Amino acid sequence: MNPVAHEAMPRLLATLALAVALASPTSAADPLHVRIDAAIDAKAKAEKVALAPPASDGEFLRRAYLDFAGTLPPVSVTKQFLADTSTDKREKLIDSLLSGPGYADRMADLFHVALLERLGDSPEWSKYLRESFAKNKPYDQMVREILRADAKDAASAGAAFWLSKRLENYGQNAVDYSALTRDAGRLFLGKNFRCCECHDHLFIDDYKQQHFQGLHTFFKNVYLVNAARMLVAEKVTAEKTPFASVFTKVPMTTGPSLPGLMMVDIPVFPKGMEFTVAPDRKTNEPGVPKFSTRAALAEQLPTAKNPDFARNAVNRLWFAVIGRGLVHPLDLHHSRNPASHPELLTLLADEFVAHKFDVKWLLRELALTKTYQRTSLVPVGTDAPDPRLFAVALEKRLSAEQLLNAMLTATGTGAKAADALRPKFLKAFANQAREPEDEVTPSLKGALFVLHDAAVLDLVTAKPGNLVERASKLSDADAATELYLAVLVREPSAEERAAVAKVLAKHPDKRPEAVGRVAWALLASMEFGVNH
Amino acid sequence: MLCTPADHRLSRRRFLGAAGGSALSLGGLATPAVAEKLKKERRQVLFVWLDGGMSQLESWDPKPNTPFGGPFRAIKTAVPGTHISELLPESAKLMKHLAVVRSVSTQDNSHSAGVDRINRGDPKNRGVVYPYFGSAVAKLVGAGDSGLPPYVWVKPLSGGFIYKDSGFLGPKYGALALGDGKPPENLLRPKELSAADDDERNELRKLFDAKYAEQRRREATEANTHAFEMAAQLQRKIELFDLSKLPQKDQDRYGTHDLGRHMLLARRLLEEGVTFVKVTSYGWDTHGDHFNGAASLHPKFDRPFAAIIEDLRDRGMLDNVLVIACAEFGRTPRINGHIGRDHWPEAWSVCMAGRGMRGGVVAGKTNDKGTEVATDPVDIGGLFHTWYKALGIDPADTEFRNGGQPLPIAHEEMKPVKEVLA
Repeated sequence: MNPVAHEAMPRLLATLALAVALASPTSAADPLHVRIDAAIDAKAKAEKVALAPPASDGEFLRRAYLDFAGTLPPVSVTKQFLADTSTDKREKLIDSLLSGPGYADRMADLFHVALLERLGDSPEWSKYLRESFAKNKPYDQMVREILRADAKDAASAGAAFWLSKRLENYGQNAVDYSALTRDAGRLFLGKNFRCCECHDHLFIDDYKQQHFQGLHTFFKNVYLVNAARMLVAEKVTAEKTPFASVFTKVPMTTGPSLPGLMMVDIPVFPKGMEFTVAPDRKTNEPGVPKFSTRAALAEQLPTAKNPDFARNAVNRLWFAVIGRGLVHPLDLHHSRNPASHPELLTLLADEFVAHKFDVKWLLRELALTKTYQRTSLVPVGTDAPDPRLFAVALEKRLSAEQLLNAMLTATGTGAKAADALRPKFLKAFANQAREPEDEVTPSLKGALFVLHDAAVLDLVTAKPGNLVERASKLSDADAATELYLAVLVREPSAEERAAVAKVLAKHPDKRPEAVGRVAWALLASMEFGVNH
Repeated sequence: MLCTPADHRLSRRRFLGAAGGSALSLGGLATPAVAEKLKKERRQVLFVWLDGGMSQLESWDPKPNTPFGGPFRAIKTAVPGTHISELLPESAKLMKHLAVVRSVSTQDNSHSAGVDRINRGDPKNRGVVYPYFGSAVAKLVGAGDSGLPPYVWVKPLSGGFIYKDSGFLGPKYGALALGDGKPPENLLRPKELSAADDDERNELRKLFDAKYAEQRRREATEANTHAFEMAAQLQRKIELFDLSKLPQKDQDRYGTHDLGRHMLLARRLLEEGVTFVKVTSYGWDTHGDHFNGAASLHPKFDRPFAAIIEDLRDRGMLDNVLVIACAEFGRTPRINGHIGRDHWPEAWSVCMAGRGMRGGVVAGKTNDKGTEVATDPVDIGGLFHTWYKALGIDPADTEFRNGGQPLPIAHEEMKPVKEVLA
């Protein structure tokens, strides 16, 4: 063989390998992100919808920072990233964000908003979430701790907040056990059984009254002893729950049970023997029953044996990162509302289980997909494709927490200001309690806050070292670049540079104020206000 | 906890997505000719919502000296032969402007289901969430010339933009809620910011947003533009919220309690040309100590209700404004162990006045004890037909479009209450 042939061989082999890879379906040996893209590509191809090109570096950097660090990149990082010519810089960025200091905070915020739905907050709960994500606690363990709600277990005390908050009186109303049952189904199983309390669901055949009542039986004897201490206790469950459909009136009973799983047997103890620790009337200390439905739920729900658990968890993580659930709405998993990519949902769930519910691993795989890294720009002159195809990246809502962090970073304001500003940002940008924050919904109160609130205007007032002061000292062109890099994580176009210069030229004697107004307009813009 | 249509809510984005964004434009109306016709004259609605359920027996349909009648008398009204409860003396004087349906019979006796069902007119289930009446009218009639959003809701407690009312019509047709009748927080431009500087920064913002919107899905960018436009609109109308400039006499006539102040603001909003003004009063769910409750509550409704009818009449506005006083249900004839009345959708009353209505009319009746409707029952679908007719909108030739899906504006198997229509 001559040297030329030698040289050509590897190239030929590589070409062949590429051709094979393109022609054949992906194999189990491929990393998950490759298999995800294969599924997304195949469906878009079948629907004859073109996939959008990759996001620009700036678009990607901004998106990943907001998703995994909960804020914007500092200008220095942006400049460095845009200048970096290495081919693996995106992967490196993802890894640095996932192991970075902002990761646990961002995840704590994300799960706080998703699981508490603005019902309230507590330092113990945030600490619990932060510490859990910092050590990448497996998600099944987290949900086990949340459902067990044992405030006396120092290692997971804050987890009790979820249940204790739902066991509080709501205004003058009694504890809303129906809502607790509904939310447990929605948030941990992806199934909203609200309409099945009194009868089988009227138009979702899969949802039965038995499902509601079975889940409800886990909770019905659980009660709150002390809200401040998040102390949850439990009465003895000795009998099945009787129920009957309001339509058929046929009497039925159920023990604690989850959809598709074996009903939990209720053990019977002789009278007086039901407690491991008997209640103490004098001190008002609640007893600990030998049979705890709460413990039974914590043991049974977040496991590999319960397919609903993993499917819901991966669907919600997919939603958080990609912008829309494979199953959407997130809490309506049922056979007549199938996933947009059914095999993909199964694959994600199986792999999540195989990786022992490793959240960070799954997020990394999602972030490495081409699907995640596509641009959100819809090709000019075309209508946006069906969002269920994931052919163009979807815009995601920024939480009040992300907006606050992003504004502080962009304006060069120290993180110390965050605590004072947080209540204002929550008021302006968070939904009402009990309303999921799962859509981009620009609001009047948000607009008025950005327009007129003294706190926002203060952020764009020149102060030593902040963005407006920095930019005021630069030439028009450099000021525009600095402002755009800080606020929008990209360079301005020539047209945008001209628009900025035009404003600045009008106010030579009041330059910091003019720069402040440009900074404000960028902060008030939609491009800043959503994760695109 | 019963299931409500809200539980079957599909994503708003999905509706909007399905409509390709066109749901946000008037193009969503099936019959543009009708829309044009409607624009030529003001058609307005005042919708007074007595949350929790006002007792028909202590208001429009008294049954004195019967087992369930309670302690209050019936009094004569300005219309010979028509009597209403002595708790509504001011309304009685204006009876010739009022039209009452006493044969309302609806389905849901829980608040959660009833409020939604009544407000959405209970159309047949087509797997979509219907708009509240206010959103529907905002869509069908438009914003008019007020320079304000078409659907404004004056209510106690918190305010904000309540997009959920709009159902499949899309967030734009939601309610601007004025919490405690106050303007939204941060409405005013701070003094430090000159008008010129404010304009300059907003021009820039609009430029940036227009650029951004060029290559994005429309729903979110349009909602964003809408939020800022509404902020600007309201800012121009700030003087509306200062009721202290109105004559003291007005404030006395309406009353200084919540409902009084809110009805007075409603009058101002209607004068300004707002298409649909909803005024909510809470606390009508009198399961206990009902009669003392009613003795205090009903006058708080009666005085401002009569005052606004008078004022609209004196201003010639009753020809334009359809007035409706409604709740999610009435109250049980049976008096419970706590001397209360419970929820009673089976037989209750709704009062109307103004545009398209024949004043001084009572339609339908209940039996002697007030326990059942004795004439053809009128469900909420029939009332929606009545109200649309009164506004000159014919449900037979007007429909909504949800993307490509045509949807009737009212339950197609129901009919208007002809007796009350002019």
